[in-house]
Amino acid sequence: MTVTEASAPRRVGSLQPVELAQASVMAALCAATAIIAVVVPFAAGVSLLGTVPMGLLAYRYRLRVLIAATVAGAVIAFLIAGMGGFMTVVNCAYIGGLTGIVKRRGRGLPTVFGAALVAGALFGGATVAALAILTRLRHLLFESVTANINGLAAVIARIPDMEPFAERLKHDFATMLDYWPYLFFCSSVLSIVMVTFIGWWALSRVMRRLLGVPDVHKLQSSTDTGQIAPVPARLHDVRFRYPKADHDALGPVSLNVELGEHLAVTGANGSGKTTLMLMLAGREPTSGTIDRPGAVGLGELGGTAVIMQHPESQVLGTRVADDVVWGLPPGKTTDVHQLLTEVGLDGLAERDTGGLSGGELQRLAVAAALAREPSLLIADEVTSMVDQDGRDSLMSVLSGLTQHHRMSLVHITHYNDEADAADRAIKLTGNGGAADNTEMVATAAAPAATVPMGHHSDEPVLELKGVGHEYASGTPWATTALRDINFAVHEGDGVLIHGLNGSGKSTLAWIMAGLTVPTAGSCLLDGAPVSDQVGGVAISFQAARLQLMRSRVDLEVASAAGFSVRDHGRVVEALATVGLDHGLANRRIDQLSGGQMRRVVLAGLLARSPRVLILDEPLAGLDAASQRGLLRLLVDLRRRADLTVVVISHDFSGLEELCPRILHLHDGALTAPTVAGGMS
Amino acid sequence: MTAPTATKQRKPVVLLRPVPGDSVIHRLWAGTKLIVVAGIGVMLTFYPGWVPIALVAALIMTTAWLAHIPRSALPSIPRWLWIVLFIGGATATFAGGGPVIDLGSVEVGLGGLVTFLRITAVSIVLLGLGALVSWTTNVAEIAPAVATLGRPLRPLRIPVDDWAVTLALALRAFPMLIDEFRVLYAARRLRPKQVPTTRRARRRRWAIEIVDIISAGITVALRRADEMGDAITARGGAGQISAAPSRPRRADWVALSISILLCAVAVTLELTVLGTL
Repeated sequence: MTVTEASAPRRVGSLQPVELAQASVMAALCAATAIIAVVVPFAAGVSLLGTVPMGLLAYRYRLRVLIAATVAGAVIAFLIAGMGGFMTVVNCAYIGGLTGIVKRRGRGLPTVFGAALVAGALFGGATVAALAILTRLRHLLFESVTANINGLAAVIARIPDMEPFAERLKHDFATMLDYWPYLFFCSSVLSIVMVTFIGWWALSRVMRRLLGVPDVHKLQSSTDTGQIAPVPARLHDVRFRYPKADHDALGPVSLNVELGEHLAVTGANGSGKTTLMLMLAGREPTSGTIDRPGAVGLGELGGTAVIMQHPESQVLGTRVADDVVWGLPPGKTTDVHQLLTEVGLDGLAERDTGGLSGGELQRLAVAAALAREPSLLIADEVTSMVDQDGRDSLMSVLSGLTQHHRMSLVHITHYNDEADAADRAIKLTGNGGAADNTEMVATAAAPAATVPMGHHSDEPVLELKGVGHEYASGTPWATTALRDINFAVHEGDGVLIHGLNGSGKSTLAWIMAGLTVPTAGSCLLDGAPVSDQVGGVAISFQAARLQLMRSRVDLEVASAAGFSVRDHGRVVEALATVGLDHGLANRRIDQLSGGQMRRVVLAGLLARSPRVLILDEPLAGLDAASQRGLLRLLVDLRRRADLTVVVISHDFSGLEELCPRILHLHDGALTAPTVAGGMS
Repeated sequence: MTAPTATKQRKPVVLLRPVPGDSVIHRLWAGTKLIVVAGIGVMLTFYPGWVPIALVAALIMTTAWLAHIPRSALPSIPRWLWIVLFIGGATATFAGGGPVIDLGSVEVGLGGLVTFLRITAVSIVLLGLGALVSWTTNVAEIAPAVATLGRPLRPLRIPVDDWAVTLALALRAFPMLIDEFRVLYAARRLRPKQVPTTRRARRRRWAIEIVDIISAGITVALRRADEMGDAITARGGAGQISAAPSRPRRADWVALSISILLCAVAVTLELTVLGTL
């Protein structure tokens, strides 16, 4: 199912997991736009954008999903922006839902116009009825506006020759208010029709753009019924091919998962490790057989539990204790504290999940899995996005599980040392690997040096003097993110700013890029505040996708670098700088792999010859091959183009060559700097 | 989370995060606070007179005092808002109307100004009520409270539980989306500005820009939703959303009684002796 296909089977009954997730995320999106529209002055137009998520929801899912999203979005907007926010969300859902449903039915503009007229009339009728009942509020509103108009008229009347105009204004306004039901009705119809047209236009354009967005949703709720008993599982010649793919993602594989064993599965990227997880979690193989004594029972008591790669996105509760029990059947009691103690999170039950580090989040996911007393626990590359400390503590939790519980553990990993902790290890060989990564093995041509080589002046490029930053200064929520940071970055430097989650390193990156003005001290680029020269320091954010705004690679690079779109030569040149083939220029952004996205961002940034390049967690979320390729490229760029690089990361691995100088950030302050190697 | 501020050193609006500390008001059930805010909101839309406004304002002050909310929790009021208020007040004053006061040789009719002040007071009081809820309530308590409050609707086959789960998940996704919007906005600031020459080009540029922004935002949201969908599937679908039971206690009944009493007194006074026409 892709984004723009309306899902065919209309379900009845409670919302399915996918529907719940879509409804809540779109509700949050709509609430966010509504709040901005209400709270930020002169931004009322932003509320029009809120119709798009709701329209998309109405287009892809049944009405029940839209209603749930409306309720959720309206409550959030009400809590933050009061009645205005509430009404904005309801309006967005009303109009967005209308356009989405018309689009789903495959109708065109005339239908939209007709539907908008009817909807506008209904809304206008409701408004008039409400005002007719709320007499006192109506009088107050009308009197207040009349007072403003009359006062204005009184001022105008003082101006010579303007007295008739003032009288006219006063009189006409009074007449208008006399006919208020017509006035409100007609303006409702008019505004609803207008907003519907804008919403329709935006929805159509956006849907065309979303055609290529891949669907990363992979797990399927188990459909098999009966006694739950996922192990021992016997896989025989299992193969799997994704719909519309031209090669098998997995197999053929034959293996057994025995009762109570700790099994490690290793293999290179593209060998089908994650696909194997899907098979074990209940997805039907394309060919071959999987024998189990009973049902898979994904997420059910005594069934199969899965822990996935991304720490942040698998946490569903806003409080630690709530997340442990999230989704358990009503009435099931859980000893939350005992579970949290087992994974080393004792005492954190009341904490917000938003403040946990990656490693803590993954251990919380283990606790939530254990709350289901699973017979089979699958951990799919759970350590790949966690720092070294987090990895160690997570591994010690995982390796003890099969001794303390009656369950089998399948640990999928690409680290060999993690596989050593298992009773048994299986290596998947795969069939050729993913074509995606092989095509971007470091073939970076050296770009022309932007600065004459060997010219290292003593003047620092970027200088931080006594920088401190406090969020929400002066309020009860004030938190200090940074204090008294002093250091300088010189031309051609490679600096790694290392710190754990919450050490303030992202804030530091934003300050160095001029995006945040520090509350104390100053950050200077070539002697002047960097916040006055936004763009002079380039920054590549951790979430590369957010930095790619245009639909196609060439448009994106041209826009980010400030070229004309027609200047194909310069686009190709910019792509070559980051080792991307010119054939990629016409590729849609959403068809790029994670590593390619990061390179396209770099191409756009480097084409503007930035004084300093900041990379926020450049390797996060990339597989090992992409990481190596990107590092090779960055080292090359720094060496040959004398690029000044600042890397912000929680990890050291592989960064020594790129960043000879390391600064440690701990709780918002720099600790003793170390130099790992000589300056290049 | 913190709304972006335009100038430095201004106190930002902090949303959906309780004021640190513990008090009677912090410990109240979230459902009670929602009922009280909704009830008073309804009363004020029906009877926006001076007496109800004053009583609600008194309630807000008392609650804020009980909850130990410092004055510093209030965000700075931006200058444009003062200007708007001043212009509104000035034009309303010029409209005149009774009551009239004598200022030496000038007679000023305050009728217009009083009306203007009343509508401003209603808005401030409503905003204050909402702010109190957000300053004293943990986000995690809201969805379970909605589920409990909606229980009477279940026999009508209204899917209250679906709504509560969606609300809980939306509140979980909200700060993540806000962070992503911040990055999106920052990434835009980093780009070179392209100045189109003709008006038509400018309009086209503007349209493309909007579609680009929405597409980027929606793509991010869709990815987040897909991952969240997987996470829900891995937990076997929706079920419990809270580890602690969510129901009113004794303090809540007291708070509810006080609020009902206050509304009754306000409406009675408004309709009898101290009415505002």
